Amino acid sequence: MMLRVQGLAKRFGGLVAVSDLDFEVTEGEIFAIIGPNGAGKTTTLNMISGLLTPSAGRIELAGRDITHANSAERCHAGLGRAFQVVQPFPEMTVEENVMVGALYGAPGTSNAVARRRAADALERSGLDALRDVPAEELTLLQEKRLEIARALATAPRVLLLDEVMAGLRPAEARLAVGLVREVRDQGVTVVFIEHVMPVVRDLADRVLVMDYGRPLALGSYAEVTADARVIEAYLGRDDEEDEA
Amino acid sequence: MDPTLVLQGLVSGVLAAGLYALVSVGLALAIGVIGVINFAHGEFFMIGAFLAYQLFVSFGFDPLLSLIFVAPALFVIGAIVYRSTIRYVLEAPELNQMLLTFGLSIIFQNLALLIWGGDPRSISGVPYRSIGVQLGGISIGLVPLGSFVISLVLVLALYVGLARTRLGRAMRAVAQNRVGASLVGLEVDRIYLVAFALSALLAGIGGVMIAVIQSPTPTVGFAFTLKAFAIVVLAGLGNIRGILWASLAVAVSESMVATLVPNGDALRNAVFFAIIFIVLVGRAWRRA
Amino acid sequence: MRRALPDVLWTLALAIVAALAPTLLKAGFDQASVSYLSLASNAMSLGILALSWDLLARTGQLSLAHAAFYGAGAYAAAVLANATGVPIVLALPLGGLVAGLLALGLGSVTLRLKGIYFAIATLAFTEVLKAVVQELPTGLAGGAAGLNVPPLFRPHFVPGQMQRWEIAFQRNEAYFYVYAALLVLTIAVSIVVQRTRLRAAFTAVRTNEAVAAVMGVRPARAKLLAFVLSSALVGMLGALEAMRLGSVIPDGTFAISTTVFALVTPIFGGLYTTLGPILGAGVLSAVEETLKRTFAEGYLIGYGVVLVASILFMPRGLVGLATRLRRRRGGSGTPAAGDAEGPA
Repeated sequence: MMLRVQGLAKRFGGLVAVSDLDFEVTEGEIFAIIGPNGAGKTTTLNMISGLLTPSAGRIELAGRDITHANSAERCHAGLGRAFQVVQPFPEMTVEENVMVGALYGAPGTSNAVARRRAADALERSGLDALRDVPAEELTLLQEKRLEIARALATAPRVLLLDEVMAGLRPAEARLAVGLVREVRDQGVTVVFIEHVMPVVRDLADRVLVMDYGRPLALGSYAEVTADARVIEAYLGRDDEEDEA
Repeated sequence: MDPTLVLQGLVSGVLAAGLYALVSVGLALAIGVIGVINFAHGEFFMIGAFLAYQLFVSFGFDPLLSLIFVAPALFVIGAIVYRSTIRYVLEAPELNQMLLTFGLSIIFQNLALLIWGGDPRSISGVPYRSIGVQLGGISIGLVPLGSFVISLVLVLALYVGLARTRLGRAMRAVAQNRVGASLVGLEVDRIYLVAFALSALLAGIGGVMIAVIQSPTPTVGFAFTLKAFAIVVLAGLGNIRGILWASLAVAVSESMVATLVPNGDALRNAVFFAIIFIVLVGRAWRRA
Repeated sequence: MRRALPDVLWTLALAIVAALAPTLLKAGFDQASVSYLSLASNAMSLGILALSWDLLARTGQLSLAHAAFYGAGAYAAAVLANATGVPIVLALPLGGLVAGLLALGLGSVTLRLKGIYFAIATLAFTEVLKAVVQELPTGLAGGAAGLNVPPLFRPHFVPGQMQRWEIAFQRNEAYFYVYAALLVLTIAVSIVVQRTRLRAAFTAVRTNEAVAAVMGVRPARAKLLAFVLSSALVGMLGALEAMRLGSVIPDGTFAISTTVFALVTPIFGGLYTTLGPILGAGVLSAVEETLKRTFAEGYLIGYGVVLVASILFMPRGLVGLATRLRRRRGGSGTPAAGDAEGPA
């Protein structure tokens, strides 16, 4: 099992953001997490990547308990993360941004290896031509690519993608879908949050639907979209736009 | 431990807290509403002290009377400083604001040194300076008591003003949301101007009091800048109400040590800053 | 990570100039060279102070404790000289060691503080340390009156072979070389930080600590490393200054003005670069000296005006200004990594 989440919960004061969350992702799988606004998807990713401390539960990466590891240790253990709200280092160039991940993502990486890994990540995410541009001058689309490139440069075994397709035009989204497949074909496990349903349909091996911080359904795209509770959760309310 | 001494320390501390709160609340206004890290804040305090001193020496004005002149003067000085410099660094990084205001502080301090020299100056001639009340072994000076009352009234007036008046509500709106506030038609720049001038005015009034309580030199301002910063940070940035409690906590502790520990007067600063340090560090680790 | 040759050449050129400076000054100015050497040492002192502070600032830690580590180094030297019989030259590494260890302690507890909270906590630390030193047994640290510190150099007057003023010259010349050596060491540390992967880690931690951690950087390690390096360097400076000035005293040795100059100079010259703080130290020293000679009284007013004007008209410091001018003239060149990143 590549990633195992058991009984995960997060409370903010009296507010329960996530509770009773269990799921497992096998190696090489593309696993989608979907759900209405405020379902706790990003909170879940934040707990997995160490930005939030869970109130309860356990997280395992490749059999290793990482519940109490810090973000850097999780990264070294093989967890890569692209953020929904893009957060490049604005003072650095695109290449320098990616180099941070390449140099520090995996312990013991030599400068030469890091440079190669960064070049590879830049090329795959289509940022080759922009390598010397300051990150603060990028467009939103380019910033999203940079998010993916930085995560890839850390040489992850599990890649966490938080709504990287949001706001992309269909052609761009197709490219991104291709990129994710390619990454998976090289042996990387992918966990992604997405609102764009065609993308979920095309990419996901399995889909976890969350609602009100709890797992609602888990299965193939066809299975979960046929689930009455899921239909209720999506159609019963009209708040399924991007979560902030 | 002598209970009278404890009580004396407590009372002196509470009285001193008023002045701390008055100076700090002005700084909190500058940081909270305008978002500017103003290391020249204490210089307004210093200018207030020396203007009062000058009015006393030249015209024999009682410090209370001179407030009528000093307060508007500091408001104007604050407005000028805002218009000529501060407004250009509102969006700049903290470090730029720090350098700019350090520069302003150096200018004001050395102007004062040029005019008044480096010797301590005080308004020693006021008749009520040595008047005090004895209450069961505790002595309460009229001047510290008066400065406490005036400070408290001003700080409370500011609280009420921020809560009740149109301008006060505008200030709080701007503090909470710059973009939103300018969208609803508040003139943000004018509100900043008034807030900054007001912060200078409050510090200036504090300065008048210090000229009666102590014998300040032109470097008195910077020491108060540091203390005011510490209090503002202790209260939590943007928490104007917390200023009163933070001031009370540090002033009473300071005074307790000064009264109860032999040779404690020299430790005042150490106690003040030790509390700040422990609280900041403790808070950061507990939160995590 | 980048070509290091220009850095090495620049540093070498600087070292050669420094090596020749005293001889040239003496040949050109005779007796006046004594005070020129002293001025040069002051300027280099400011350069070390500023560049070592900048090292720490590169990780986003806006320290107001630089005076504390300067003072710790100075007091380490003073106590060593007064309480033991070991050669005074050991005071330099000792000053660095004491300040470095102290920084490790302070840095560990302030790791989670950010921005102005960090700044005020470090300021508070300085004030507390000053009081602690003052309250130490008088026999050890001299209390509020401080301690005398023996000089590092004691040139002897040789009648017939030299003039009286040449004693002062020899002393100032010797100090000049030690300051130059410490400056070169500081520059070397800074260049290593800028030219290795540390730069990526420091910059990432400064701009977004959480994201840096998610990308594998260990923020605590980067911040502590910067804190220890920065403080050890300024600790050595403190020890050296104590020996040159001949005494330490709590109010002066831990003066907040040391901290103020440490942070003002890099902002003026250009933050997060090697060149900026050095350039800033040179220009500000020259400005101050010129003002002092022009206006005997109140010259610091002019100094303040320069600082205020510099923020209003060149918000990214001298280095940022140079980068902007060069880019404007260069026109079509590839965009650099933002002014603040400018030349290393």
